[in-house]
Amino acid sequence: MTSSKSYSSLTLIAAALLLASPVASAQQTIKLGMTTALTGPFNEFGEGNRRGVVLAIDEWNKKGGINGRKIELAEAMDDQLVPDKAVQNMRRILDNKEIVAIIAPAGSGPSLATMDMLEADGRPTCNPLAQSPSVIYPKGKEQPPRKNVVSMAITNESEANRLGQILGKQYKNIGVIHESTAYGVTGAELVKKSIAATNPAAKVQIESYNQRSQDMTSQVARLQRSQVDAILVVGLGADFAVIRKNMSRANVKVPLFGSTGAVTAPYLEGAGDLAIGTRSVSPDAFGKRPLSAYAQNFVDQYRAAHGTDRWYGSDAANPQISMAAIVGNAYDCAVVLLDAIRRAGSTEPAAVIAALNQTKGLAGIAVPSITLTAQIHEAFKPEDLGLFEINKSAAGALYLKPVVE
Amino acid sequence: MDFFLSLVIAGACVGSVYALVAVGLNLTFWTTKTLNFGQGAVMMLCAISTALLTAQGISNGVGVIAGVTIVALVGVIVERIAVRPALKTAGSMGWVIATLGFGILLQGITSKFFGSQAIPFPEVLFTVQDVIDIGGQNISLQYVSIFVVSILIIVVLEGLTRYTVLGTAIRGTAQDMELAIVQGLPVNLIVSGSFVLSSILAGIAGILTAQISGTVDPAFGFELVLMGFVAAVLGGMGSSAGALIGGIIVGIIGKLVGGYISTAAEHGIAFALLIMMLALRPEGFFGRAEVTKA
Repeated sequence: MTSSKSYSSLTLIAAALLLASPVASAQQTIKLGMTTALTGPFNEFGEGNRRGVVLAIDEWNKKGGINGRKIELAEAMDDQLVPDKAVQNMRRILDNKEIVAIIAPAGSGPSLATMDMLEADGRPTCNPLAQSPSVIYPKGKEQPPRKNVVSMAITNESEANRLGQILGKQYKNIGVIHESTAYGVTGAELVKKSIAATNPAAKVQIESYNQRSQDMTSQVARLQRSQVDAILVVGLGADFAVIRKNMSRANVKVPLFGSTGAVTAPYLEGAGDLAIGTRSVSPDAFGKRPLSAYAQNFVDQYRAAHGTDRWYGSDAANPQISMAAIVGNAYDCAVVLLDAIRRAGSTEPAAVIAALNQTKGLAGIAVPSITLTAQIHEAFKPEDLGLFEINKSAAGALYLKPVVE
Repeated sequence: MDFFLSLVIAGACVGSVYALVAVGLNLTFWTTKTLNFGQGAVMMLCAISTALLTAQGISNGVGVIAGVTIVALVGVIVERIAVRPALKTAGSMGWVIATLGFGILLQGITSKFFGSQAIPFPEVLFTVQDVIDIGGQNISLQYVSIFVVSILIIVVLEGLTRYTVLGTAIRGTAQDMELAIVQGLPVNLIVSGSFVLSSILAGIAGILTAQISGTVDPAFGFELVLMGFVAAVLGGMGSSAGALIGGIIVGIIGKLVGGYISTAAEHGIAFALLIMMLALRPEGFFGRAEVTKA
């Protein structure tokens, strides 16, 4: 009998030790997964996204995690913004049943390539950056969104609406140059519709280019011949710099506008002082000073972790606005997912998705107040975007300054 | 007229860079009947080296010389490790994969050590705002300088190969390598030299193009080498004059199609020209049909 009791006690002690062991802790962590452009020519988006997610996880872990469970970014895989690689990575992530929530890739191409897999799998997913409307609403806005996918990204629609309103009100003959990707094509079409809705008499001429074109003389010359009175570029930063240089060589001096994807660090670095005067719509809340206490905390945490890098900008007191749309949106994605898991009290997909659909007034970086419902899975609204213009500070740094419309 | 002229001028300038790349491809074709499909990565390496060095405060001139020197050494390496072993087997096409693979390796190494992001490239020859008035038309001096530099290099190279002992040795090796060896020509050195020269031309083409685009990243150069290849085939493989004419034709037609028809068709037209030429006149404008013994 004594012997039996001893064995029972030993078994209990062993079980307790096992539970307290690192292996047991690891099993209890709440695991997130992501595939994104960690390297490659577009890693300003993917690496920025990863930093945002890690920052949010670190903050939640400092506060004790969720119901005592620590949070972990279990998979952060590199797809270089290539859809095929994103699909392979996503398969591996979905094979890991311990991963309870997923951050989508950093662009429309890889996101669209993986969305059907994610929807079929059913685990809660957040899109930090892809702007194509099909990512969330594959059958159009009139139909319900994908059940398990929400988005913090600036949507093509909201960006195009704002840009279309601004351009349509101020100009009569507008040139649009877009990259030949889903992002560029959809963006240009939506802007054209928005301009037509704002000013039906306005003319819009659309030109396209392939990413990484080293000379855009034809596109610029065609718009010059049409005597456009403003040009909008829907594309990415390095290509935007080529267009800006071509405009300067061709002596085209009309106002220049860029999409949020275009007015990023590669544009400022590539175009240099030629970038001054370029206008763009960006998250309004992040452009206002002083920042909200919530955004200021995010900025301070980021600077403490990474310093004043290419995402933050060179001015410690004045983080660049593109940071909100890249690092901030991914940070918001992680927070929205973790907040839903906390409220659901479970990591079961159905419970977390139900909680996601009840997100109301949650503080965010790019979107100051995040609200989601079963019908509305996009947090970003056109009114969250403000008009900005690139200026040069006394210290010589280029920055976006709010424009009073 | 301004519209037409601006397209022609831009096309001729961009085309002259294609011509430079095509001449580089021709050089190795003469000596070994191979093409270095890793030329794109060589262009990238030269441009990135120059950009990184000038960002450290080194003058543009020194940065350019250093960049060109680096890729000259790469030329030696590519010939020794990617081409020479592949040519040991008669009729082997291993050099195609070997040179392409070498280029991909260079891209990977550059990404690993210098990152994959676009790096700003300095304005080496004139600034974006520098223009010259020709017939009432403002023409960018950057474009003009690219055209002039490319043409000068091609003309000097053509002069060297036609009128110097070194050129005679290169042409001799190109015509009959075995006889060149029997005659005591340093064939290995000549072959190595052709790869060095080819890499230098690619490096200069990279620098000239990076100046136009303003940035350079590890994927830079791939499209340029394709365009250079189209120019070389169009002009006639092995012909310098053909490479020059082919490059300028590809550049101008591309811009005219982009300007008058559709910007979406600008790049596709080069490959349409390539297919047409291969179907109608495979030896190109200036090439001669190869005669083989029965």
